[in-house]
Amino acid sequence: MNWPLLWQYTGANALLGVLPAVIGLAIALPLGVACARWRWFYVPVLPLTTVLYSIPSLALFVVLIDYTGLSNTTVIIPLTLFSLCVLVPNVVDGLRSVPPPVRQAATAMGFGPMRRLIRVELPLAIPVIIAGLRIAVVSSISLASVGQLIGVSSLGYFFLDGFQRDFPEEIYVGGAAIIALALVCDLLLVQTRRLATPWSR
Amino acid sequence: MITFDHVTKRYPDGTVAVDALSLEIPAGKTMVLVGPSGCGKTTSLRMINRLIEPTEGTILIDGQDVQAAEPAQLRRGIGYVIQQTGLFPHRTIEDNIATVPLLNHWGKAKARARSRELMELVGLDLQMARRYPHQLSGGQQQRVGVARALAADPPVLLMDEPFSAVDPIVRASLQDELLRLQAELHKTIVMVTHDVEEAIKVGDIVAVFRPGGHLAQVDTPERLLGAPADDYVTDFVGFDRGIRRLSFFSADSLDLDAEAMVGEDATVADARALSVPWVLVLDSERKPRGWAASADLVSLPAGSKLADVPLAPIGHTFRPGHDSLRSALDATVLSRTERAVGVAADGTVLGVTTYERLRTAIRAAEEAADVQAADAARAGAAP
Repeated sequence: MNWPLLWQYTGANALLGVLPAVIGLAIALPLGVACARWRWFYVPVLPLTTVLYSIPSLALFVVLIDYTGLSNTTVIIPLTLFSLCVLVPNVVDGLRSVPPPVRQAATAMGFGPMRRLIRVELPLAIPVIIAGLRIAVVSSISLASVGQLIGVSSLGYFFLDGFQRDFPEEIYVGGAAIIALALVCDLLLVQTRRLATPWSR
Repeated sequence: MITFDHVTKRYPDGTVAVDALSLEIPAGKTMVLVGPSGCGKTTSLRMINRLIEPTEGTILIDGQDVQAAEPAQLRRGIGYVIQQTGLFPHRTIEDNIATVPLLNHWGKAKARARSRELMELVGLDLQMARRYPHQLSGGQQQRVGVARALAADPPVLLMDEPFSAVDPIVRASLQDELLRLQAELHKTIVMVTHDVEEAIKVGDIVAVFRPGGHLAQVDTPERLLGAPADDYVTDFVGFDRGIRRLSFFSADSLDLDAEAMVGEDATVADARALSVPWVLVLDSERKPRGWAASADLVSLPAGSKLADVPLAPIGHTFRPGHDSLRSALDATVLSRTERAVGVAADGTVLGVTTYERLRTAIRAAEEAADVQAADAARAGAAP
């Protein structure tokens, strides 16, 4: 068992799983806020994120190689786009889950629109947003392994190497490592939600 | 004072929610807007703090046009309480109450100290300060809502059906609490309700709306019951308004009979000498002990002490300085002697009322109220 190699690829895979979700959230927040604020804006944005998600990852990788080469960026960009498919609707749903009387009370207390968003609406949307983040992170972690096909390091290495050498145990180890990584990240997010929303306990 | 001057709210689809409403809400008074749903009462309330913008007309608070103020700034100076409480689920009770002080940059320590002060004022246990809203009962949440609205000590308090989501017992106690607070704070309160009983109980003035955003009558609760402007208001204020109106007349005006009573040491002969159908027997502390029926007294030995004869129970008593004519009438109706006992705060007897005496007092009170209303109308009509 080559532990150093396993750790190295797990780290690389974790980065490729978490970074797209984080960047995706940074894009989804303003987009989702805009969609929640102006309903007409959501009408084109929602199908757009779905269409993006339907593009095969390998195809996107290949297209991007011309621009970003065989780097992490080539994998991160498609995974970020895919994460929007869950993150944008979840930000919108999260904001819509704020009870109307709460929103009305905030306005009536003298919160301006921006302050209301940051101090009342977004905090209350956290549980739904984190639920989306969990799906985005887990799916990015698993999709990142496809990047191995274009030579970007991830736990996908073990699938490819195991396949080429006809060594199924290696494939099992890679699979188990991905599942373990996904579980750990998911647990961390669940814990984050618990800490960030003490009122919901 | 809040002034509505020909205020109209018309929606783009042509619906008129409020139609040329002119209304004055005196400073330090509670004005209740009441009417069926769709009568424009809530729209009118929400136009005061600009949650809804009027289409025409102006609303002034102490002479200042609300349209001229920056909305967020305006709203921080106006307390607001709503039915579903609208408490922030993610903030503790103390932070919920401190909302407006924090928005006004009081600093955390000062704002929290103020929260605790208000929790005491509205009757909330300080142990709840660190809890979250969902950990409180509906009635407690509504108290937090009232405390939050009062936190920055705004002169104006708007209440949008504040007590309609709680059960009748809790509602009654919250109404009593509001009356107690208002007696202490003298805010200018505008409350919306669809419950005319609530309007009559908490309002100094009641504005009855009719569908279409028109005013049907603006009057004191007593006048509303005593002299409804038309059939609509009569229907709206409902059944037995004559009896309910008596709540607004003090039982002080009753001329109590202080003669038809004897101490328990007196004899049957003493009681017979009063020649009244029922003699009130007092104990040694001058508290009511029971009724002696003259019909029974005839057959009893003249020398026996009243302490030893069987007496009919007193039933309810009333306190003239504290209770209304309605309480006195109720006590009389419930008594099989057709008499009720007026007592002082310490329970000692002041005197006895009968239907006869009640009738006189009611007529006098109604006449006085009519004269007062006529005077007020003349004063209002004068330039």
